[in-house]
Amino acid sequence: MKIRYLACLAAGGLLLLTGCERPPVDAVQTGFRGVGMEHIANPRTLQDSVNAIAERVPTVPDTPASDQEPAPEGTWENVQVLGHLSEEEFNRTMLALTTWVAAETGQGCNYCHVIEDDGEVNFVSDDIYTKVVSRDMIRMTQDLNENWQSHVGEAGVNCWTCHQGQTKPANYWFYDPNPDTVDYNRYYSDQEGIRVISQNALSGDSDNERDIWDTRHLYWLMIDMSEQLGVNCTYCHTSARFSDWEESPPQRVQALRGVRMTRHMNQEYMAPLDPHWPDDQRGVLGDGPKMQCATCHAGAYVPQYGLPATNAELWPGLQRIGDPHPGSPEYNPGTPAMMSAGQAARALGLHPSEARTAPQDQQDDDQD
Amino acid sequence: MAMLSFEKKYRTRGGTLIGGDLFDFWIGPFYVGFFGVLTIFFATLGTALCVYGAAVGEGLASQTWNLWQISIAPPPLEYGLGLAPMMEGGLWQAITVCAIGAFVCWALRQAEISRKLGMGYHIPVAFGVAILAYVTLVVVRPVLMGAWGHGFPYGIISHLDWVSNVGYQYLHFHYNPAHMLAVSFFFTTTFALGLHGSLILSVTSPKKGQSVKTSEHENSYFRDTIGYSIVAVGIHRLGLFLALNAGIWSAICIVISGPFWTRGWPEWWSWWLNIPIWS
Repeated sequence: MKIRYLACLAAGGLLLLTGCERPPVDAVQTGFRGVGMEHIANPRTLQDSVNAIAERVPTVPDTPASDQEPAPEGTWENVQVLGHLSEEEFNRTMLALTTWVAAETGQGCNYCHVIEDDGEVNFVSDDIYTKVVSRDMIRMTQDLNENWQSHVGEAGVNCWTCHQGQTKPANYWFYDPNPDTVDYNRYYSDQEGIRVISQNALSGDSDNERDIWDTRHLYWLMIDMSEQLGVNCTYCHTSARFSDWEESPPQRVQALRGVRMTRHMNQEYMAPLDPHWPDDQRGVLGDGPKMQCATCHAGAYVPQYGLPATNAELWPGLQRIGDPHPGSPEYNPGTPAMMSAGQAARALGLHPSEARTAPQDQQDDDQD
Repeated sequence: MAMLSFEKKYRTRGGTLIGGDLFDFWIGPFYVGFFGVLTIFFATLGTALCVYGAAVGEGLASQTWNLWQISIAPPPLEYGLGLAPMMEGGLWQAITVCAIGAFVCWALRQAEISRKLGMGYHIPVAFGVAILAYVTLVVVRPVLMGAWGHGFPYGIISHLDWVSNVGYQYLHFHYNPAHMLAVSFFFTTTFALGLHGSLILSVTSPKKGQSVKTSEHENSYFRDTIGYSIVAVGIHRLGLFLALNAGIWSAICIVISGPFWTRGWPEWWSWWLNIPIWS
């Protein structure tokens, strides 16, 4: 009888262990010794993730062209954001783009460029929406590498950082009428603050308008962000005072810059694309895809664990905001078509007061 | 001090674990013993080191005598499993040795007293489980993770900071299955103690003019209210079982956090969602 019990216990214990990892683990101290501010990772799990990504690194021409003089006038028509490149560098960049973004389609140049009836490629035409999107995304990448080094670092980013050979990066979001989901609109496109701790007494004519739903949204966003970045709460916060910046690890500042960068990308680059998307690329409310942390990070604290293939270093075309080729039109992204929370509510047949975001007067640039 | 009737049996020389009859005597009602002396030595030295640490402000930004803020912190992770300089966690290491020495010697003194009384080792074994939980925190887990710096700091507020931060490292510690069991056992222990204590106080506090009630009353009360009485011996066995499990599962819940699981505890439950029956 006793032996049978022991056997059951041992089997149960073993079964539970199969759900676990094994030591040794890697630990990095991120705060004063002894207070448990550490980042702990399993080096074997991490190595598997890195290897999986390394296998996907695309083969692209990895030496910048010897000639970097801008191509002479008349070389191209309708080149709006890469006019600062030489013809050789331009072609190299186009080839790489095809691999970075459209490899899975097998369409080559035709993914973005029109093929005429006579079989010739019409590089001038903007008739395929993917070309408009690509131009917008190239401009965005240039913007990130020139103006957002505070988040993307000096190495910068290129198309593969997020696209990974797919036409759409794995993680994006739309306006979502379901209230039981993370309200990305609130944080990654609106300037809606996420502070929920009241600084005022809750009685009488208190001006505290935060409620339990705000808290719940904040909690969802934080847990979601933790999954998107593959980090835990103490990566950016000390748990004794989550809201306090002075006691927070520096990664929190990096994350704040990232949130602001995400808003910038959604407002300046994704929203203006709304008129261009075909219907099958739109969400239930008719809007185009928008970005979040995981669009680039995909569950890693640094996108693709910082493999060199994610850098902009070898790509002069992506390092700064480009010029139009002489004679080509200026880059014009169009009018942002971002839907406000009230518009989103109306689109759902709700009264705007039922919109998911907080009142306008609480919106404040400073509230992050 | 007058001796109680059973103390004659208690005050039997011999039955020591080591040291023959060294320190095998009583001071007033207190047995001394070889391990009693060692306990006093370790406890005094450890406390003195704590006071010294507080005096020089070890483990803090600045020196303080504020009892809440005094903290003796373990070494930084960079020292791994080696000895650290005295003011960078070496003090913590010395105090840890003193603490374990004092706890273990106290358990051995309990064992000697048990031998003198001719009773089982229930008490030292039970205390041993508490020691196990402490040793798991400051020795077993740090060794498995490769640095003494994973131990917790000795300070009232600072050790709470440690608990909080370590909890949030795994996103939501309440999803730790062993933590669930430990918490349940802790609550059940206090619940059982509440039931038992109120019962004993009731039967031993009769109305004026009535006599103290017997175990038959105790049994009747529980048979009437919940249909079952575990009886006098049973409640103590149950209490021991519950209390020891609380300590054991506490030790398990922290030793698996880090060495055997590095991600969020909610994610660990994926195995449940992935069971082939419904996935």
